[in-house]
Amino acid sequence: MTPYSATQQGAEQLTSLPRIIARRQEQAGAHDKTPRPRPQAIVNSEGFSLYYGDKAGVKDITMDIYPRSVTAIIGPSGCGKSTFLRSINRMNDLIPHVRAEGRLAVNGQDVYDKRVNLVNLRQEVGMVFQKPNPFPKSIFDNVAYGPKLQGVKNKSELQQIVEESLKAAVLWEEVRDDLKKSALAFSGGQQQRLCIARALATKPQILLMDEPCSALDPVATGRIEDLIGQLKAKYTIVIVTHNMQQAARVSDMAAFFCLGELIEYDTTSKIFSNPSKKATEDYVTGRFG
Amino acid sequence: MKLAGRMILDKTFTTLTALSVLLLSVILLVVLGPMIYRGSGAVIFRGTVEFRKMQMGLFERGDAEALDAEIAQAQEVRDAVYRQIDEFRQGIDTEELNEKARKIHREFGGELRSNGITGDEYSELRSLTKDIRDKLEEASESQDKALIRRNIEDVLEHQDDDRLKGTLAAGFFPLAANFSKAVENADLAKLSQYTEAIEQVEDILRQLFGPKPGEPTPALARMRYGATRCDQAQILLGKLLWIEKWVQTEPGKPLEKIKTPRSEQFAGTPLESLPGFVEKNLAKMLRPRLTFYWQYFIDDSYNSHYFGGVGPEILGTLLITVLGMLFAIPLGLVSAAYLVECASDNLAVKIIRMCINSLAGVPSIVFGLFGLAFFVLYLLPTFGLPSQGCILAASLTLAILTLPVMIRASEEAIRSVPQTYKEASLALGASRFRTFVTVTLPAALPGILTGIILSLSRIAGETAPILFTGAVALGPVPKSVFQPTRTLSYGSYDMAVGDRVAMMVPHNQYGMVVTLVVLILLLNGMAIMLRGRVFKKLQGR
Amino acid sequence: MDKGNSTLTLKRTAGTFRPLALTPSEDLKGYILAHLGRAVLFLIACTSVIAIFLIFLFVIRESVGFLQTESLWGYLSKTGWYPQAEPAKFGSVAIIAGSLYVTAASLAFAVPIGILAAAFLSDIVSFRIRAVVKPVIELLAAIPSVAYGFFAVLILAPFLQKKFGFPTGTNALNASIILAVMALPTIISVAEDSISALGRELREASYSLGATRMETMFKVVIPAAHSGIIAAVVLGMMRAIGETMVVWMASGNAAQIPHPWWDISQSVRTMTATIAGEMGETPKDTSHYYALFMMGVLLLVLTFSLNIVSEYFLSRAKKATGRA
Repeated sequence: MTPYSATQQGAEQLTSLPRIIARRQEQAGAHDKTPRPRPQAIVNSEGFSLYYGDKAGVKDITMDIYPRSVTAIIGPSGCGKSTFLRSINRMNDLIPHVRAEGRLAVNGQDVYDKRVNLVNLRQEVGMVFQKPNPFPKSIFDNVAYGPKLQGVKNKSELQQIVEESLKAAVLWEEVRDDLKKSALAFSGGQQQRLCIARALATKPQILLMDEPCSALDPVATGRIEDLIGQLKAKYTIVIVTHNMQQAARVSDMAAFFCLGELIEYDTTSKIFSNPSKKATEDYVTGRFG
Repeated sequence: MKLAGRMILDKTFTTLTALSVLLLSVILLVVLGPMIYRGSGAVIFRGTVEFRKMQMGLFERGDAEALDAEIAQAQEVRDAVYRQIDEFRQGIDTEELNEKARKIHREFGGELRSNGITGDEYSELRSLTKDIRDKLEEASESQDKALIRRNIEDVLEHQDDDRLKGTLAAGFFPLAANFSKAVENADLAKLSQYTEAIEQVEDILRQLFGPKPGEPTPALARMRYGATRCDQAQILLGKLLWIEKWVQTEPGKPLEKIKTPRSEQFAGTPLESLPGFVEKNLAKMLRPRLTFYWQYFIDDSYNSHYFGGVGPEILGTLLITVLGMLFAIPLGLVSAAYLVECASDNLAVKIIRMCINSLAGVPSIVFGLFGLAFFVLYLLPTFGLPSQGCILAASLTLAILTLPVMIRASEEAIRSVPQTYKEASLALGASRFRTFVTVTLPAALPGILTGIILSLSRIAGETAPILFTGAVALGPVPKSVFQPTRTLSYGSYDMAVGDRVAMMVPHNQYGMVVTLVVLILLLNGMAIMLRGRVFKKLQGR
Repeated sequence: MDKGNSTLTLKRTAGTFRPLALTPSEDLKGYILAHLGRAVLFLIACTSVIAIFLIFLFVIRESVGFLQTESLWGYLSKTGWYPQAEPAKFGSVAIIAGSLYVTAASLAFAVPIGILAAAFLSDIVSFRIRAVVKPVIELLAAIPSVAYGFFAVLILAPFLQKKFGFPTGTNALNASIILAVMALPTIISVAEDSISALGRELREASYSLGATRMETMFKVVIPAAHSGIIAAVVLGMMRAIGETMVVWMASGNAAQIPHPWWDISQSVRTMTATIAGEMGETPKDTSHYYALFMMGVLLLVLTFSLNIVSEYFLSRAKKATGRA
C-alpha cells in the first residue's frame, strides 16, 4: 500500500506536495536568517525501546520533541509510530507483557519509572485517537469528564471549562445549543473535535494525536488541520500520520520511522525536500510504503 | 436422472430443516397455549353469587347490601327446589298406611256404638285408638328409625288388651307389624333407594348452592360455599342431569362410561322434573357475571388452594429470587470485571474459568443437596439458628446456581464495551478503577441488566434446589428470612401431583403455573427488548 | 487559517507541569491500594472455585456414612432399591439405568431435530426469519422445568394414555419427549454457533464444485463442525441427565429396567427424581439419607466428566474454526 492510497485526499492534492514543500522551505529559510537557541526539549527519548513480549515495538529511539511545535511522526504501517506515541503517555500499558528499556522522559521525568504519577502524566499529556471515541454520554459530560476527575465539582466552573475547551476546539458555535445531546449523534469530524476539546479540558501541555484524520472526510480533515495550526501556539503537539501532505502541511519537525527504528528526524522542510537518508527519500517520494 | 434425484433430496432436506423449526414453534404453542388458556380462567371467569359470597366471607370484599339482596333473590328460586324435595321425602309410601289407620279408627267408633258401649269406657277406648292411630301416623311420616321402632312397640303393647280383642281395632296390630317389617326389610330398600337418590341430589345441590339455609356452617371453607364459577356449576349440573357409571362391557376391555338421565331414577314421582327445573333456572339461582379477579395475584389461599389466589407464592418467589440476586449480582459482576480487566491468562484464571463452567453444569438437584448439607445442616446451626429450610438458605443456594450465568453475561457485556472508550478515559488521567466505574460499567450496563434479568427469570423457575432448602407447599406467610416460604415453582409441582384438593379446582392448578410462566416470560421479553436496544445503540442508534 | 474565534482563553495552571513523580507516601498508598484491590477482586472472583469445592466437599461428606454400613460395589451392581424394607436394599442399577434410558431416548428425539434446526438457522434462512425463530427457541429455553413437568402430567400424560392406550401416561416416553424439548435449545444454539463459525469460504468451495446444499451440509459443513456438534450433544445430554422436576413428575417413578428394553411406554425412575422424591421424608444420618447423597455424588461425578468432555470438544471446535 502506498502512503498516498492510504490517504482519503483527492488526487489533485498529490500534485500540490512540491508546492507545500516549497512553502515550508521558505518558512524554514526565514527561521535560518534569525538563528535562535533551541528551546529545552519537553519530551526526551534516549535509547528508548519497547517490547511486546519478545517482539520489539520500537527499538532504540533517541529524539527530542520541542515545546509549542508540531512534531509529525511518519512511516509505513507497523513501523512503530503509534507505539512510540502511545509510550509517551503510557497508553501501551493496556497491552499485556509490555516491557520498556532505555529512557523516555516528559519534562525531565522518566515515564517508565515505577514512581511516575500516571494520573498527572496523562492529564499533562492529552491524547486524540485514530477513530473519534467520544463516550456515549452528552457533549457536556464528555468534556467535563477530565475536569471532574481532577476534582472540579462547581457547576459554573465546569460550564466555563467546557465552553473554553469547545471554543478552543472550534466546536462551540456548532454545539452550543446541544450540550445535553448525546455525543454519538454528531458527525465524525465533530466527534473528533469533541475529542480534542475533551483532551484540552484537562489543560495538558502536550497533545498526542494518533492519525486523528484517518477516519474523516477531506473537509473535516481540513478543519482539524486548521485547528492543529491554532493549537500549536499553546500546546506541544505530536502527530502520527500516514498522510504525507498532512505531515508537510501541519508539522514543524518530522520523524521518519521504519521497522521500529527512527531513521531520520529533522525539520519538516528538510525531511521533505532534502532528506539525508535514502530510505526517507524513497518514502516521502512514494517509492515504497 | 441422477441430477433430478439429487435435487429432490436437496429439496427434501430443506423442507425437513424448515419442518424442524416449525415443530419447535408448534411445541411452544402446544405447551403454552392450553396452559395459558386454562390458567387465565383463574383470573377471568363467570363468577356466581356464591363467589361474591365467598369473597365477602373470606376476604370481606364487596358491597354487603347489594350482596344480601342478590342472595335473597337467588334464595327465592332455590327454595322452590328445596321445598319440592322435602315434600317428596315426606311422602314416600306413607299415605296408604295413614289412610288405613284413619279408617280403622273411624269405623271402630261405629262398632263401639253398635255394641252399646257408651260413657267413660267409650271415650277411653276412643282416645286409646286415637293414640294408636297418631303413633302410627307419626311413625309412618317419620324418617327416624328409632322413633318408628318406639312407636310401633308402643302400639303393639296394646295387642293383649282384652277390650280390643276381636274388634276392628285389632286391625291396627297387623298393620303396625307390617309397617315395622316394611321399614326394616322390603320397603326400606325402596325407601332407601329414593332416600339415597335424594341424598345424591342434595349433595350435588349443596355443592351447587352451598349448605341449605338453616344448616350449621361447615368448618372447612370449601364446604361453606356453592359453585363459585360458572364452569364449575355446569359440571355439577351435568352430574345432576346425568348419572355416570363405569361399566365393563366385555371382559378384558377397559371400563366404559355410561350415562343415564337422573330423571329416570325418579320416574313417576314429583321429583322427575327437578333436574330440568334446576337446569332451566340455574342462572336465576346462581346469577353468574363476568368477573375479573385480579386479586388472585395478592390473595392468600384457603383449603390448600381451593379458594383464593397465589399472593404468598408470588411474594415468596420474589423474596427468594431477589435475595438470591442480591448475593449473585455483586459476586458475578466483580468476578466478571476481574476476569476481563485484571486477569492475564495464567493458571489461576484457567482454574477459575474451569470452575465456572463446572458450576454451570452441576445438576440443579445437586445444588439442592448441597444447600441442604451446607446451609441448612451446617451453616445455620453454626450461627445458632434453627436448622430448617428457610428463605435465606434457598436464596443462597440459588445465588450459587445462577453465579455462572451472571458471570458469563456480565463478562460478555464488559468485553463488548469498545476498547476505545477505556483508552479515552485512561488518556484523560482516570485510574483503571475510575475508568471501569465511570465509563466501562455504564456502557456495559444494558448488557449486564439483560444478564441480571435472565438470571432472575432462571432462578424464579427453579424448583429442585429449593425442595429441601426453603420451599413448602403449604404454610404461613413468612415473617423473616429464617422461615420457609411457599413459592410459585414448588406450588406448581405440588398442585400438579401432590395435592388432592387441587384436582378439584383445575383453574387454580393452571393459574399457579401460568402465573409462574407469565412472570418468567415477561422477564425474558424484557431482556430480549433490552438487548435489541443495546444492539441498536452499538450500531450507532 | 484564522476563523475569527481563535482566541485561546483557556486558563493554564501557570504553564507549569503538575508533578509527574509520585511522592513516597503517594507511591506507598498507590502500591498498597493496587495490590489490596487486586487481592480482594481475586478473592471475589474465586467464589466459583470455593463454591465448587464446597459442593464437592459437602455432598461427599454426607455420603461417606453410606460406606460404613453398605458396600459401594453392591450399590453400583444390584438392582433392588427398597430403602424402607428390613433390611433395606440400596441397589441403584435400575435407577442409573433409568437416568441413562430417558437421556438416551430424549437425545434420540432431540439430536436430529436440533441439527436440522441449526442447519436451518445458519445456512438456509434469511436474517429476518432468524430474528423471529431465535426468540421462539429462547422462550422454549426460558420455560421453567416445573412448568414442563406440569404440562407432562396434566396434558401430555392423559393424551398419551388415551391415544396410544398405554397403561399409564407418566412413563419413559413422556419424560423423554419433554426432556428432548428442554435439551433442544441448548443443542441448537451450540450447534448453530459451531456451524456458522465455519465461514463462507468452505461452503463456497463446495458449491462451486456443483454440490447441492444438502451435499454441502452433510459432506463438508457438518463434518468440519463435528467437534462443536458433539459438544452440543454433550451439553444437551448434561441438561437432560441433570433435569429433576420433569422426570420426577413425568417418568412414573418405578425403579425398574424396562422389559423388553425397547418398551418406552413403561415407567422408569431416574437418579434426580429419586433424590427429589425421597430426600424430603428421609431422616438425617440414616443409611437411606447417605444413599441419596451417594446418588448426588454419582450425578456430580457424571456431569463433571461430561463437562470436561464438552469443554474438550468446544476448545477443539474453536481451534478448528480458528484455523479455517
